[in-house]
Amino acid sequence: MSLLAPLALLLGLAAAVPLWLHLRHRKVEMRVEFPGVRYLLRAEQEHARELKVRNVLLMLLRVAIVLLVALAAASPMARFGVVGHGPTALAVVLDNSMSTGAVVNGRSVLADLQDAAHAVVNRARGTDRVWLVTADGVVTGGASSATAAAIDRATPLAGAGDLAAAVRRAAALVSGASLPSSRVVVVTDGQANAWPVRLAAVAAPVLIYAPTAPPPANRAVTRVVPDPPHWAPRGVLRASVLSREPVSWRAALGDVTLARGLVAAGASIEVGAAPAAHGWVAGTVELPPDELRADDVRPFAVHVGLAPAAHADASAGAFARTALAALVADGRVREGGGVAITSAEALGAFPALVAAPVDPARVALANRALERARIPWRFGERHSGPVQARGDGLDGTTVQRFYALQRQGDEAPADTLVRAAGEPLVVAGDGWVLMAVALDPADTDLPLRASFLPWLDRTIARRLATDAGPVIDAAPSATLARPSWATGLEEPDGTVQPLSGRTIRAPDKSGVYFLRRGTERSGAVVVASDSSESVLDRASSAAIARRFAGRGAAGVDDPRVLADRAWSDRSPRPLIAGLLIGALLLLAAETWVSRRDLAGEA
Amino acid sequence: MTSPANAQRPELLDPAQLNALGGLEIRARWVVEGFLTGLHRSRKKGFSVEFAEHRPYQSGDDLRYMDWKMAARADKWLIKLFEEETNLRATVVLDVSKSMDWTGSPARLTKLAYAETLVAAVSLLLLKQRDAVGLIRFDDEVRTVVPPRSRDVHFHRILAALADPGAGKGSDAPGALLRAARLVPRPGLVIVVSDLLLDPRSTIEAVQALRGAGHQVTVLHLLDPAERDLSISGAEVVFVDPETGTEVEASVGDVRAAYRATVVEAIAEWRSRLAGAGASYEPIYTDSPFAVPVRRAFLARRRLP
Repeated sequence: MSLLAPLALLLGLAAAVPLWLHLRHRKVEMRVEFPGVRYLLRAEQEHARELKVRNVLLMLLRVAIVLLVALAAASPMARFGVVGHGPTALAVVLDNSMSTGAVVNGRSVLADLQDAAHAVVNRARGTDRVWLVTADGVVTGGASSATAAAIDRATPLAGAGDLAAAVRRAAALVSGASLPSSRVVVVTDGQANAWPVRLAAVAAPVLIYAPTAPPPANRAVTRVVPDPPHWAPRGVLRASVLSREPVSWRAALGDVTLARGLVAAGASIEVGAAPAAHGWVAGTVELPPDELRADDVRPFAVHVGLAPAAHADASAGAFARTALAALVADGRVREGGGVAITSAEALGAFPALVAAPVDPARVALANRALERARIPWRFGERHSGPVQARGDGLDGTTVQRFYALQRQGDEAPADTLVRAAGEPLVVAGDGWVLMAVALDPADTDLPLRASFLPWLDRTIARRLATDAGPVIDAAPSATLARPSWATGLEEPDGTVQPLSGRTIRAPDKSGVYFLRRGTERSGAVVVASDSSESVLDRASSAAIARRFAGRGAAGVDDPRVLADRAWSDRSPRPLIAGLLIGALLLLAAETWVSRRDLAGEA
Repeated sequence: MTSPANAQRPELLDPAQLNALGGLEIRARWVVEGFLTGLHRSRKKGFSVEFAEHRPYQSGDDLRYMDWKMAARADKWLIKLFEEETNLRATVVLDVSKSMDWTGSPARLTKLAYAETLVAAVSLLLLKQRDAVGLIRFDDEVRTVVPPRSRDVHFHRILAALADPGAGKGSDAPGALLRAARLVPRPGLVIVVSDLLLDPRSTIEAVQALRGAGHQVTVLHLLDPAERDLSISGAEVVFVDPETGTEVEASVGDVRAAYRATVVEAIAEWRSRLAGAGASYEPIYTDSPFAVPVRRAFLARRRLP
């Protein structure tokens, strides 16, 4: 117990007054002639013991009243145990990430977590404020009833969510509530990789509950990659499977099964296919159902059709022509119109892969061609290397000579794909890719490197071929950059949501969502959970608590203890009201005793 | 506060207010007149006389009592003698000890002043009913003795006796009661007016003696409200008994409740013991209108044959 005004305890010395009045030899104030003296004598004789007891009782009551008032004036503060709590702001962070959809003993982990959350929220009082923050950062509450309803509505997400951000959000809520006590209660399945190794301290105490039971064994398709992303029409489907034992699988494209098989623990799946379907197609790789159904099926998208057409003109150089011929021979590219590989000064129509001129004397000519083509970049000063390129699969490429690319205004969005010495080396726009270096071994070793052919293949197939846009892998609810040409997002049921703005929010359910350019499918967003969400290994609540910086976090393994500790108000609480009420009660008792007729009559 | 109705019923006035309106005789007459008005009694009822016998006329006899019919029929001059319808001989025994000369508030009458008005009113009431009324005043000895008489002029003797000077300190009620028994040879009514700060045992014995002689005994116990409640200002007080000089030091607040309980017990004891002795008992507080004790005295009279 602490005292805010300890000097006020000196008022307690006043307790000596009733004590002194009781013990002192009383001073007679007056003499009165009174015929009823014989009654008075008789009263004192008959009630001597009661009078003495009453006087002592009155003295004790008066001393206690003075002491209580003095103590109240000192404004004492004390901590109480788990009995009761003062007004408290409490936010429950409910982990409803995909992993909580696992079923253990016929019941989902999330249902157990919801019970634990209810046990906490049900103890809220009218003076408390309660919120629910789910793993995806959605906030509900303010009142316990609304929070309880939100707990009931919670369903497992398709992804991991962001529990650390949810805790930060919850801490901000409770600390901003301006109530005497605040706390964040985290109810999680304890999935170890869902929590960062180090978490910053938050503005409120954090109490973490995680079940101690071992997680169920889980099988999952953790990765599916169509290679290449555009099948013409042949391609390979590569998939990774998480399983501690051999497990059967099935790969499907649309409604057609591509292949079935049995994959060993730790092995990968590789399926070659040449589907008859053309255009953008959604597919899945599936495992038999297990305790966690959400990761038993993983979607993918692939574009099936003719190989993109491309040609290289004479200005592109011999290395470009040779590489293109190799792609044509492999069936990845068709010889013909379509994508042009050219030097800048010879730039004609789009789409085009535009290289810097080999001859510096032709830079001016090249810049005029860029201007005519409305490409917002110009070749500037020529730098000499050597420097290393970074990005777009070209890491390690040495550049001897390149031009500084100068941006011209902000006419159209452009991506910087590769940098060299911090400057843009390869930039891209709508229908064009511009290189600040010539495809000449004297300027760069790029044409000589093994990475050149795949890069050229990707650039033609993914960036420049007009009939096949990108495949964007996204976590549920993730924020993505909207391709400038994308006008709509086609959902699995065929409905199209219009797109606008610079970003789009990925859907919160796993699946394939095609990007529309007008009425045509021109790309796909593949929404699937992070593969780490399928690893259900758990950390204890104490271990998670230790990841928080500072000492503001604690772990609890029992949901009943969680409910107790969630509301155990360890903050000092003022005692003044209780002391004054006690003093008033004693005063009432003193009044009753002093007026009480000893013989039971008024 | 006196209501208009009470203004015409002096016996219902506050005793202190009534005291300011006139002397003892006036006050007594007002009380009795008001009381009798309140009874709605017939004027003739109870005031008749009965013929007893004849005797020869003597010079000086009142001619109103001459039996003219006998004179005309037998030529005898006879005077009619009547027997008064006096059913009762009452004696009021008044305590005039020093304890009676006390009031707990200047706004109230002393017990003695209250008692004197009460005695005068009761006496007048009885005389109006042709009862004989006597008076004995006592303190530590019998101070005044007025034998019972029923004539109207007797009222003035009683008033004169009430005006006699004060008394000694103590109270010898047994002696006064025994004196009353000797004073009234045939059975009658004895009304004791006292604050009963007496020795209970000897007093009860005296009452029993009166009852043994055939007297009806009514005890009117006068109390000042301050004696009942110990409503004395001050915290630490030395209380002095005016008769014995006994001193008691007490904290008024501490002892008040016990004192009240003791007074209640004492009243209950008097009521019980006097009832056991065959006497009626009424506690009277000096802030009560006189109608209260007068009615009780009247009712005591009515209960007699």
